[in-house]
Amino acid sequence: MFDINAMTSLKNTSKSALTEPVIKQINIQIANQINTGVLVLDAEFNIVLWNRFLQIHTDKDAANIIGQSIFIAFPELPERWLSRKLSAVLQLNTPSFCSWQQRHHLFELPHTRPITTDSEFMAQNCTFLPIETECKHKHICILIEDVTDVCHYQGQLQKTLEELAQMSRIDGLTQIYNRRHWQESLVQEYAKSRRHTKNLSLIMLDLDLFKLLNDNYGHQCGDMVLIEISALISSLLRVEDIFGRYGGEEFAIILPETNLTGAMELAQRICHSIATAQLKYNGQAIKVTVSLGVAQLSEQTSSYEELITHADLALYQAKSQGRNQVCSATNMATN
Amino acid sequence: MSEFHLTEDQQDCLQEIINIAMGQASDQLARYLDTFVYLKVPSIESIGAKDLLQTLSQQKNTMAVVSQGFFGYEGIRGEALLSYQEEDSGRIADLLGYEPDELSKDEQLIDISSILTTTFLNVFARQIDNQMSYNAPKLLPSVQNSLSEHLQEMTFNWDLALKVNISYQVTDYSFNCNMILLIPETAIVNIKHVLDRILAEF
Repeated sequence: MFDINAMTSLKNTSKSALTEPVIKQINIQIANQINTGVLVLDAEFNIVLWNRFLQIHTDKDAANIIGQSIFIAFPELPERWLSRKLSAVLQLNTPSFCSWQQRHHLFELPHTRPITTDSEFMAQNCTFLPIETECKHKHICILIEDVTDVCHYQGQLQKTLEELAQMSRIDGLTQIYNRRHWQESLVQEYAKSRRHTKNLSLIMLDLDLFKLLNDNYGHQCGDMVLIEISALISSLLRVEDIFGRYGGEEFAIILPETNLTGAMELAQRICHSIATAQLKYNGQAIKVTVSLGVAQLSEQTSSYEELITHADLALYQAKSQGRNQVCSATNMATN
Repeated sequence: MSEFHLTEDQQDCLQEIINIAMGQASDQLARYLDTFVYLKVPSIESIGAKDLLQTLSQQKNTMAVVSQGFFGYEGIRGEALLSYQEEDSGRIADLLGYEPDELSKDEQLIDISSILTTTFLNVFARQIDNQMSYNAPKLLPSVQNSLSEHLQEMTFNWDLALKVNISYQVTDYSFNCNMILLIPETAIVNIKHVLDRILAEF
């Protein structure tokens, strides 16, 4: 609104200077035409003024609303919190704010996008301003801005960001974690188990003779096998286990808080489940087996890379002993 | 020494105005919060964008930072940053006289920040015959690691700022927080004019 004092002080210097009543009329019309709710309260929180925006956005009878307590007129308001906030405005003579980011809305008002957003009420930014007039008591002006649009697009942006973050962690073919995310997780799990001296085990596994399968049945068959095997292994894991595609036909599983015995049991179960799985491609039964290497973090292990190396060596041993079997890193040491 | 640095007289004058404002603000806050509010003697210094990062990164365990912009007549403007540490903010709802389940932790931080910032700056503005407007306080996005990491991601369009550091203490509620007022270089020139005028009146 325009400052009447500032405007009227111009009247000696400017021919087009406005008179005080005209400035008042302009102010009133602006107040009634802006797309912001304006509500003025007295020091007892009774409504003394409201603008057209609020009149048309509430179904309330204009005749009854003036003089009514804001908490009776708008029973949805959180009374205790808001009255404390309003007293701060009066007592400290400072403005106060309430953003949709912390509180979606204060007043239950309809908004201009009821069809194209899923929001029931208008998202609001509210400002509470102390008002001093000639009148002995202070007033509080509440400005209510409609930010439903902002809120809606922020929500969509958040959703998209989450989807993107998810996509960047997932292997497109098998829908399990990709190598990058898997490795980042291993770095974290390694640090965690070192810090809290907890067990940590690793399984590396590789499809046996996968190249032959691709050559005999084609790459689409190979893809199908990768997808089916990933799903099968996923179904055997606990939620805290981290399963990723390490390379072409190589997979890796991080097993937090698991010792070698537990990891070996799981590896045997995976080996058996895959060997007995009934995979079909174009009506033809496909036989698939895997070789697995298991390693447990020991005091001597100096890095997460070393843990991978141990599991890899065990996997190599399982391969060289005839495939479709499990080897552990400690077996190798004793063998 | 550049046009953005305060002279010794200007610095003393500003220090004096801030001291008076702090006294009045802590009195008002004490009456509203119904408990003693201690404000430590503030420090005023000119700081480069790079040094700001350094200073702020020395504050460990910063859990949250709330920013609120302020604007006054004569080109006085700046940004208030309030930083909180985990251990200092457990009883804000209590301190503000709210029921803890009435509002989220974020909203508690924003509410107390707004009260501290606007109370102090209103009194400060009155001391220099000015009047402040504020925009809504914002919680800066996740500063879980450290404030400096957050600031490093921002590109500053200023080289030098006037930094006023004020810390608040409410011992009854074991509440502490640090308020940093940052006044960018264009506004420093304006504040120097105001200080010169005040000095001339003595």
